[in-house]
Amino acid sequence: MRRSTLCLILAVAGRSAAAEPVVTYNDQIRPLFREHCLKCHGEDEQKADLNLSTFAGVMKGGSGGVAVVAGRASAGLLFEAITAEEDGERMPPKKPPLPKEQIELVRAWIQGGLRESSGSESMVAARDIGFKPAVQDWADGPPPMPRDLPKVTVPSSRRPLPVIALAASPRAPLLAVAGQEQVRLVDSASRDTVGILPFPEGQPNVIRFSRDGHVLMVAGGKPVQSGSVVLYDVTSGKRLAQIGDETDAVLAADLSPDQKLVALGGSGKTVKVFDTATGRQIYKLTKHTDWVTAVAFSPDGEKLATSDRAGGLHLWDARGGGILLTLAEHKASVRALSWRSDSRMLASGGEDGLIVWWDAKDGWPAVTMPNAHPPDRPPGQYGKLANGVLALTFGPKGELLSAGRDGRFTLWSDAGRKLSTHQSEGGLPLQVAVSLDGKTLVSGDEAGRLQFESAVP
Amino acid sequence: MRLLLCLLLTPMLSRSEESPSFRRDVMPVFFRSGCNQGTCHGSARGKDGFMLSLFGYDPKGDLFRIKEEMVGRRINLAVPGQSLLLLKATGKVPHTGGELFTKDSPHYQTLLRWIEAGAPDDEATVPEPVGITLSPDRIIFEGQGTAQQTRVKARYSDGSERDVSSLALFATNNPAIATIDDQGVVKAGGRGDTTVFARFSRFTIGSEVIVLPKDTAFHWPDPPAVNYIDELVNGRLQLLRLLPSDLCDDETFLRRVTLDLTGTLPSVDAHRSFMSDTSQDKRSVLIDRLLADPGFTSLWTALWAEMLRVKGGGYAPSATDVKAADVYYEWIHDQMAVNRPLDRFVADQITGTGSNLTSGPANLYTMLVHDVKVTPKNLAADISQLFTGVRIQCAECHNHPFDRWTMNDYYGWVSFFTGIRRKLGAEPREYYVFNDLSAAPAKHLIDERPMPPTVLGGEAPVPSGKDPREALAEWLTAKDNPLFARNLANRIWAHHMGRGLVEPLDDMRVSNPPTNGPLLDALARHLADSGFNLRSFIRDICNSRTYQLSARPNATNAGDTRQFSRSQLRRLRADVLLDSIVQATDGARSFQYFPSGIRAIEHYPRTPGDTTRPHVGDPFFETFGRSGRAGVCVCETKPEPTLSQALHLVAGDTVASQIGTGQVVLKLLNANATPQAIIEELYIRALSRKPTEGELEKMLTLVGGATRDRKVYEDLFWGLLNSTEFLFNH
Repeated sequence: MRRSTLCLILAVAGRSAAAEPVVTYNDQIRPLFREHCLKCHGEDEQKADLNLSTFAGVMKGGSGGVAVVAGRASAGLLFEAITAEEDGERMPPKKPPLPKEQIELVRAWIQGGLRESSGSESMVAARDIGFKPAVQDWADGPPPMPRDLPKVTVPSSRRPLPVIALAASPRAPLLAVAGQEQVRLVDSASRDTVGILPFPEGQPNVIRFSRDGHVLMVAGGKPVQSGSVVLYDVTSGKRLAQIGDETDAVLAADLSPDQKLVALGGSGKTVKVFDTATGRQIYKLTKHTDWVTAVAFSPDGEKLATSDRAGGLHLWDARGGGILLTLAEHKASVRALSWRSDSRMLASGGEDGLIVWWDAKDGWPAVTMPNAHPPDRPPGQYGKLANGVLALTFGPKGELLSAGRDGRFTLWSDAGRKLSTHQSEGGLPLQVAVSLDGKTLVSGDEAGRLQFESAVP
Repeated sequence: MRLLLCLLLTPMLSRSEESPSFRRDVMPVFFRSGCNQGTCHGSARGKDGFMLSLFGYDPKGDLFRIKEEMVGRRINLAVPGQSLLLLKATGKVPHTGGELFTKDSPHYQTLLRWIEAGAPDDEATVPEPVGITLSPDRIIFEGQGTAQQTRVKARYSDGSERDVSSLALFATNNPAIATIDDQGVVKAGGRGDTTVFARFSRFTIGSEVIVLPKDTAFHWPDPPAVNYIDELVNGRLQLLRLLPSDLCDDETFLRRVTLDLTGTLPSVDAHRSFMSDTSQDKRSVLIDRLLADPGFTSLWTALWAEMLRVKGGGYAPSATDVKAADVYYEWIHDQMAVNRPLDRFVADQITGTGSNLTSGPANLYTMLVHDVKVTPKNLAADISQLFTGVRIQCAECHNHPFDRWTMNDYYGWVSFFTGIRRKLGAEPREYYVFNDLSAAPAKHLIDERPMPPTVLGGEAPVPSGKDPREALAEWLTAKDNPLFARNLANRIWAHHMGRGLVEPLDDMRVSNPPTNGPLLDALARHLADSGFNLRSFIRDICNSRTYQLSARPNATNAGDTRQFSRSQLRRLRADVLLDSIVQATDGARSFQYFPSGIRAIEHYPRTPGDTTRPHVGDPFFETFGRSGRAGVCVCETKPEPTLSQALHLVAGDTVASQIGTGQVVLKLLNANATPQAIIEELYIRALSRKPTEGELEKMLTLVGGATRDRKVYEDLFWGLLNSTEFLFNH
């Protein structure tokens, strides 16, 4: 079992490396600079003290700052200058933007590690982002499934609530789905509803299973009225605890792997972390400048990732609340965060259409996927169409499933390669989950329905 | 592909009665309730995290933000009554905007039923409003406190009509005269006339309200009418029960018309010959003589140069070198001298092409810019404001809230100027102005679709393939384009009457109607029919009885400043004032960067530096509010009298030094003039009139025995030049 997984990873990594074209300064980039840039940034004239006519000159940068950062196009001034939206800010000045292919070439060169010639080494340190399954840290036993949950009556509603929250149990073939003042438990094999947990607090905005699959965390409330987090025992349906007493619905929440902490946030722009045993607040994070949109504890319990509606994303020490890293890449609201089960990778997706895989060790954006969900543009239609990423989650084997405003949910390999994509049948896909065995992809949509697709095309 | 759907709940709904339409029914609720106004969610960045398009210019975007931006947050499709949108609007949860309507209001029901129906869009199916009416279109009240109900009707693209009184917004231009409440009920206030408005969708429409005093006897004397101007002014005065003042006397007329037409005072000789002339038609003969005077050309050259921001500099890259400014100035002067039809005069500039150092009209594209970079949006705004009086820039980020212009109009208009380029010529000061026909048109703010050049209110873009500015000039200056003719007529009228029919002159919009609409229409029509003949148009104005009325009020018109029932007092323009001081004293004045011998009216700002910042060119101009030409706004010329102006005339060097330079008194003494003759001439020089008997007596007493003392007369002269009467045209 272990061996076959390893083989798969190597195969995937090898394929993706071969697919990446090797772009070098001497072969492609200098001719491109010569065509567009060297008149002002060359041997004869160095506007802004920038000389692009030599490799060393590019590395040195100009008076404005660093021109290029290996592996991070978005971090240097050069790429920013050639992709600026405003006519007055873009390079080359007073000209139409560079053709798309040329911009892609520059991006590939920077992302590929700024090779000078075909003999040069990439300046991006080889990173092993391969997935190593985590060791099981819970006691064995039967998969926790609901048994004889009490019959409950939930208020009738005009139509189903859109699936604004969804989670798959990491230990059982079980899905938990948001409904109006309730959470439905669905057997992911038979697709039958096997129980209902009442949530009289209002709308469930976040649902998470504990790492051992025994506890279900439901967070939400009534907008601009009240909000809290409730913990349920999955097998009996009993309420274990209610945490937080907010004046607005909780928009983001997570339960720590040891089940000792609950972190929550929302329109108050703060993240509060509570002790689940006492219900007391332990610490508060006030760095966010806008509504908190997602919080997630790393599976090893070491770190807490939090994001906001202005694109802010921070990594904290989960125990003490000290800041570890600020992850700056998103230009618009971050909609979703997910940790890979080995705690090495954190994925974030946002309304800017970007998905980033962050190396949790040093905050390096190991994989960036711009326009992960590009919308189809009908003929005759212009302008920016919202192509936001609405949800994402890592599957059990390090694969990533994301959903976006293009109306699709898409599966990515553990190296960030697109594997398959599916059209949502009931409006926008709002939430996604991957079944325990990794074989079934689930999307919850605007119409309040679940759509199941096979992970193997 | 295997595809399985799992239905969690039974979502099938019976198709009930027709649900409210988002665009037709729901959007107007946001408008009427003020949700999408600029201080609330209509602000560019929204309010408290939720944004709506200002006054609803972007329904599609608003639907997205309500329904899909944060699914489950703003509306609740499962339990519609618990939608945050409804709870906020009814004040059931904390809301900065408070309670906007109650649960039992029609507005609430509209929103609720729309959410119950699933908050559907209706882009393709719903008819669009194409116009609105407010009835009645004129209300005449007799006496304060009376009231009148109005109704607003909207017409739709499918030909249907709907009463939208409960969805419209109402406003008044002058609450002291008439108020209008949110039910559309108009109440009379104090005496006068104003306009009340209704706004719905992207339309604004007004109804005139006239409030007359109750039960006062009014006898209309039926004063004679010289031409159409008097007929229309008198009609208005009769309606408003205002009596016109009497005709002004000959001396007042002489001074008024000479200042208005030539920017100078009547000379002593002109005064003598006009006052001794006994012919019946001497006023119209004088008008014709002044229209032919070179001073008329100088004055109108100065007025245009000010509007067109002519300033000469020494910073070559902005293409506004003194040489370019001079070429432009001389070109304007030539046009005014030959009485070039104003439509041709403007068209030449709109299509201006070529070197800034040889082509006068091409400098429209240097002098409106005064910058190294040409910004199409600024050009579009300035050219609209100058030649149509429309502030089209209000429609850049949203449909014009108080006029009929849409964002489509704005971006189509900007595209006339996106190709304007200036290429370096044979020397550093020289730039060639041309229109790059391959330039991309402006992009619409909302969806970035390209908007090819389209005239204001135009249905389709102008033909491509040749310079679109030709089509622009043709449309702009067409006889039947009311925007152009009304704007010009209003500006020329204001110069002679002290007030435009629309004020400010460069803010023509539906919600800023003329004080006498039929008169502005007639003026515009006559101007166009004359072939945009400046002199013949002004001849009509000056020959009218209205122009020649006295400034002295009677019992009914003391409060009137809008209906031209009497002449308005006007402080002399800075340049005219300086020339008048020099002229009255036989003095001389020179200007920096200009050869000696030029008059203030022939002066335009020159600087050795760059011309971006405001420049007036002389400290005297600064004090007396001459335009700094930093923009095209008429507000840059300040007509108000100020304390520093009075102090400058009293204690500054202008008046005293000009009296000393000109030696008027000395010459009179040398010619052995009598004290009475000297005093009379000083009066005529300063005030264009002889002193009254009482004044003469007092003056002679002041002179006393010092009949040959130059100093005494010069003090008297100084006093006359410091009088309010000198400072004003009346």
